Order: sequence, then C-alpha cells, then structure tokens
Amino acid sequence: MVPISYNLRNLKVRKTTSAAAAFGLALVVFVFASVLMLSNGIKKTLGRSASPDAALVLRKGATAEIESVIEDANVNLVLNDTSLPQSVSGPRGVSESVVVILLDKIGADGFSNAAVRGIRPDSFAFRPSIKIVEGRMPQEGSDEVVIGRAISGRFKGLTLGESFELKKNRSVKVVGVFEDGGSSNESEVWADIDTVRTAFKREGYTSAIRVRVSPSQFDTFKASIESNRQLNLAVMKEAVYYEKQSEGTSLFISIMGTMIALFFSIGAMLGATITMHAAVANRQREIGTLRALGFSKASILFSFLLESIILSIIGGGIGALASLAMGLVSFSMVNFASWSEIVFRFEPDGGVIVGSMIFATVMGLVGGFLPAIRAARINPIEAMRA
Amino acid sequence: MMNFIRISARNLLRNKLRTTLTVLGASVAIIAFVMLRTVLSAWSTAADFAAKDRIATRHKVSFVITMPKNYVDQIRAVPGVKSATYAIWFGGKNPKKPEQFFATMAFDAPSMLEVFDELVLAPDQQQAFLADKQGAIIGDVLARQLGLKVGDRFTLQGSIYPGDWPLNITGIYTATKKSIDRSSMFFHYSYVNDSLPPDRQDQIGWIASRIDDPGRGPAISAAIDQMFDVKDIQTTTMSERAMNLSFMGMISSLLKALDVISIIILFIMMMILGNTIAMGVRERTREYGVLRAIGFPPASIAWFVVGEAAVTGIVSGIVGLALSFPIVELGLGRLLEENMGAWFPYFRIDPKTYVMGMGLALVLALAASIVPARNAFRLQVTDALRRLA
Repeated sequence: MVPISYNLRNLKVRKTTSAAAAFGLALVVFVFASVLMLSNGIKKTLGRSASPDAALVLRKGATAEIESVIEDANVNLVLNDTSLPQSVSGPRGVSESVVVILLDKIGADGFSNAAVRGIRPDSFAFRPSIKIVEGRMPQEGSDEVVIGRAISGRFKGLTLGESFELKKNRSVKVVGVFEDGGSSNESEVWADIDTVRTAFKREGYTSAIRVRVSPSQFDTFKASIESNRQLNLAVMKEAVYYEKQSEGTSLFISIMGTMIALFFSIGAMLGATITMHAAVANRQREIGTLRALGFSKASILFSFLLESIILSIIGGGIGALASLAMGLVSFSMVNFASWSEIVFRFEPDGGVIVGSMIFATVMGLVGGFLPAIRAARINPIEAMRA
Repeated sequence: MMNFIRISARNLLRNKLRTTLTVLGASVAIIAFVMLRTVLSAWSTAADFAAKDRIATRHKVSFVITMPKNYVDQIRAVPGVKSATYAIWFGGKNPKKPEQFFATMAFDAPSMLEVFDELVLAPDQQQAFLADKQGAIIGDVLARQLGLKVGDRFTLQGSIYPGDWPLNITGIYTATKKSIDRSSMFFHYSYVNDSLPPDRQDQIGWIASRIDDPGRGPAISAAIDQMFDVKDIQTTTMSERAMNLSFMGMISSLLKALDVISIIILFIMMMILGNTIAMGVRERTREYGVLRAIGFPPASIAWFVVGEAAVTGIVSGIVGLALSFPIVELGLGRLLEENMGAWFPYFRIDPKTYVMGMGLALVLALAASIVPARNAFRLQVTDALRRLA
C-alpha cells in the first residue's frame, strides 16, 4: 500500500487547487448540514413543549389546537373523568383557547400569524418548566399578557411594556416575558382566557384540554373518553401531538434542502474530479515509478481514491464546523400544521455531523473515482519514458 | 484583442477534459442558481396574477376567526361593489392520502361563479353543480392528481368541520387566468352551514368582491372597513394582490434562506473556475517565462489569464442557461405546476434571471482569475524558466 503521507504531501504541494476544491466541498457540506440542523431544530422545538405525563384532548378530527372546539360542559366531564389519577401534585388538567392573530412582522414585509393562548390561572402550574424572566406574571382576568422569549421583538407590539389590539378598543399590554427551555411555547402570547374568548366571540368554548396522566394510565383514560360518543373527542399523548405538528414543516425543509444539497454536490464533485485529474496528469512519471517499484494497480487506485477522500473530509470538516456557527441564528417561519409562526434554531447533534461527513466522503469517492481509475491504468514503461 | 481571445480559446482546448469538466461544473451551478431564483420569483409573481378588480375582506386580526354572514349583504350595498361572495376555509383532506395538500373551500356557489368569472366550467356542469347541494367542482390539475372525473363520488375528511363529508364531483373547471388555482376543490357553503349547531351557523371566513373600477379599490376598501369599524367585529379589506403579497411575510425567512443559498452556489462556482484557472497558470509557468523572455510585458501575460477566464465564464454561462430552460421550465416547472400547484401556480424563469445568470458567470470568472493573473503578472522570468511544472 502507498503510504498516506504521500497523499498528504501531494495535497500540500498543490495548495491552491486543493484549497479551492476543498472549499467548494465545504460550502456544499455547510448547506447540507445547516438544512439537517434546521429540520432537527423544528422537531426539537416542538418536542420540548411536550411533557411525558401529559395528554391532550381535542375535538375528534381536529389536527391542531386552533381547529378544535370543545364545549365548556364537556371540559368538566373530561377533567372529572374517573380514570384520571385522583391525587396529583399540581393541577389535574387545564383547558385553554388558542387563536392565531395577524401581526406586522418586524424586519420583513407583510404580516404573519402569531399564536395567542387564552390561559387559566392553572396554566403556569400545569407547566412548571415555564419561568417569567422579565417583567411579571399577568393579573388574572385582566388585559395583561405575557409573551415567550422567542417571539419577543419579532412582531410589532410584542415587546415588554408595549400593547397591541386583539380587537378594536381591546388592547392588551405585555407585562412579562417567559422562557420554557427553547420550546415552541416560547413562540406564543399568553393572555387571560376570558379576554381572548370575549374578543373573539368564543364564550363557552375552549380549544383543547391538557390533563396530567401517567403513561400507564393513559390507555384507560383514552378509552374512557373516546368511548363516549357524545363527547366526540380524541385523546393523544402530548409528545405524539407535538411530533405530528412538526412533521410537515420539517419534512418540507428536509426535502427541499436535500434536493438543493444534492444538486450543489454535483458541482463540488466535478471540482474534486478536476483537481484529482490534474494530480494524476502531473504525476504520471511518479505513478509509473511506483508501479515499477512493485505497487499493484489496486494500491494505486486505492491511493488516489484515498487522496480524494482526504480532500473531501478536510472540506467536509470545515463545512460541518462552519455550520455549527449557524446554531447562533434563529429562524422564524409559519409552521404548516399549527398555522402560526414558530421560532426555532439550527440545532446540531451527532447525527447531523456524522451525516455530513458521510455525505462529504461519498462526494470525494465519486469525484475521485475516474481520475483514480486513470491513474491505475497507467502503463509504467510508457509513463517513465515520457 | 482578437488575438487574446484566440490564444485564450486555444489554451482552453489544450486540456479538453478539464475544460469540459469545468464548464460542466459551472453550468450545474448556473442551473441551480436559475432554479433557486425561479422558486423565489415564482412566489412573488403569483401575486401579480391577482385580479385587479377584486378586493377581499377578512376579520381584522385573524384568519381563523369568522365574521357574521350578513356582512356580505352590507358589502353588496356599498357603492362601487358589483358583486360579492363569501367562503370558509374548510381544511379538508383526502382520507386515503391525508398528507397530500389541496385547498378546500366552501363558497356561496351562485355568487362565487360571478365574482370569479375567470373560472371556466361547462354550462351543463355549472347547472349540475348549482342544483346539487353535495356538489363540488375541482380544478383539472387536482382532478388528475386525485384521479377523479365528473360523476364520481368523493368523501372529504374534515378537520375544522369534523366528520366525513360525501361530495359529488359535478364539474371540473379550468381557468382563463392564473389568478385561479387549478388544484382547488370548491363546494357549497350551505352544505356545511346547515349541518352545524345553530350557534355556529352563518359564520364566514372571508368575502371577495368585484368592483367596477380598479382605480377606486382603496377607496371602496376603506369604505367597507369604516362601515364595520363601529360593529362588534372589525374587518380589513385589501386588493387581492395585496392579500396574496401579505402571505409572503409568513415565509419571509424561508425566502431569505433561499436567497443566501443562491449566493453560496455562486461561490462554489467561483471555486471551480478559480481552481481550473490556477491550475492552467501553474502548468504554463514555463511558457509564460518564455513569452516574457522574448519581450511580452507582464501585463500581456496577465491578460492571457483573464481572457481565458472570461471565455470559460461566457461558455459556462451559455451552456448553463441553455440547459436551464429545458430542465427548469419543461421538467421541474411542469412537475411543480402539476403536483404542487397550490405552492407554485406558475413556475417559469424570469427573463431577468437569464441576464443575471449570464452576467454573474462572466463576473465571477473574472473575479476568480484575479489571483492567478496577479501571480502571472509578478512572475520573474528566471524563476519561471527554472521551474518544473
């Protein structure tokens, strides 16, 4: 086998062209890794909103909270269902109203949907992970609202101390900002449930009920609620609900991003081929000598493939590292399932990095294949004569 | 000048394989660039197809909150409004393929056909649709996707309006203008409304009105909003175009991301071009030394390099754009218009994109040649002649 140091030195001798090819590969891997991180970010942001021991009750057939309508009378039936645990620390459950309102987006043309959750006093206690980090808690039954950290400053009026209108002469004031460990709750406005219901003529209805139920009791509870035809409700685990909410958007971004990255990779692979072809052409004599010394065709082929792979791994590594910097950027768009703007980050994880490096290696392998075959085919006698 | 170009072209032909690969690589980059720009322009030009004499009225603060149905009667009475229709967003799905998206809307059928007169429906199908409460009309594009024909029965699964909704496909429409999406499903508002509990009845999502003078659109819109300002539910009225454009805010970050990516592809292209040019200069160092030795000034040597880059850039631009047309317009464009009409009703390359692509190919090739040209310019005759390529 030809030693690896031979390949490393070869790449070093031709600094400029190696660097250009590696940089091209780096850019492709950067785009590829960023897309994976974005799609990952959507899933994680929505996933963090789920609590392992919570279930969500929606109107049967509704796929999102904003689509669901539940009469107040039924809310009580659900919350008092005998299959629910009798003693839990904190509230047994909470029913809330969710609407989306149009607000002017700051720093972009046009408006977008912001989710407004009409909450009850128990809503904070039901989600202990939520902490007010600026300002204060809203007063019960008032026109005060709190907003998530992620959405703060993204829309006109959604900043601590400012107000916006739910309807004419019904403006609400932002008195606090809350955090929830980077979950999608941070992209919501939380207002008093009655303020929301009167502003949007939803008196007597809520959108969804959340209940505290351990995984072992979930099936009994689900059966008990869903068997009651009169209620016409569906029960699902919170984790399942949020996973479904992220599905469409994250799939859309993955497909679009992967298509772009694949297309770009053709360019980068051609770049690697050009570099490797030049390397082979310039080293004909060397290759001939190596063959004369007794290195087999296979080891020449392998050596040049390896050189191309080293090149692509260097490029891929740079691209993947650079993409980690995207972790600082947050991205805000309408989530297809919930029709509301959600702010998420580019979230890296092991899978993203490994995936990007595999992608880079494949590009190097494909790009270096033809030049390597050409190198292996060189006739030692002719090459040394040249 | 002619000589420069001839020499540049000759130099390129010396290593045909490399030149071919370079042109191919740069053309792929151009195709990707054209594709991304077309995605961006397709979204923004969708708004340009909006009917100029149509305005839309919705709830002031939310798309998902309804308005009372009697608002439409009051709008019909506003001077300048020729006709008005109302609709709800049904949010239905195909139970067999719930992940497939198509727009489902319940309209007041007679007034809808009047307000959206660019919708083309055969007279007998129109009669059948109006006569059948469970009747539905679908666009020809959607009909192909769902494999439906006139007379078929189709069950729609409701999400906002739960349950199964059996429909009779009474007509398949086409459109004379792009302002109507040919992958939508329309059916009767009354069908939905009559099956709702009394307290949820007679609520509508939006109102579309045809006005007699497009120039008076803003004034009529203002008059409508003012009329409802004192009511319990306020409205926002705007031109169809403004309404379409305002949806762009929802995907503005996506648009920005695509913008950035389309710039990254240009850098990749520059790397490919720069790589090839640098390689050529490196291999021809001795020749440049000889040229210098027989009296060519350093600037001429630099111009050889720049000329070679320019020729590569222009050829790549021409090849890339020539390939873009069949790939983007005939291939991908057709595919997207057929399958994702709701997203891309009109996927065509904007002429500006051609100009931009060609210009960028040339400019980037020149930019990529700066460093190699400078190196060639600074070349010492003695070094060059001594060096082994």
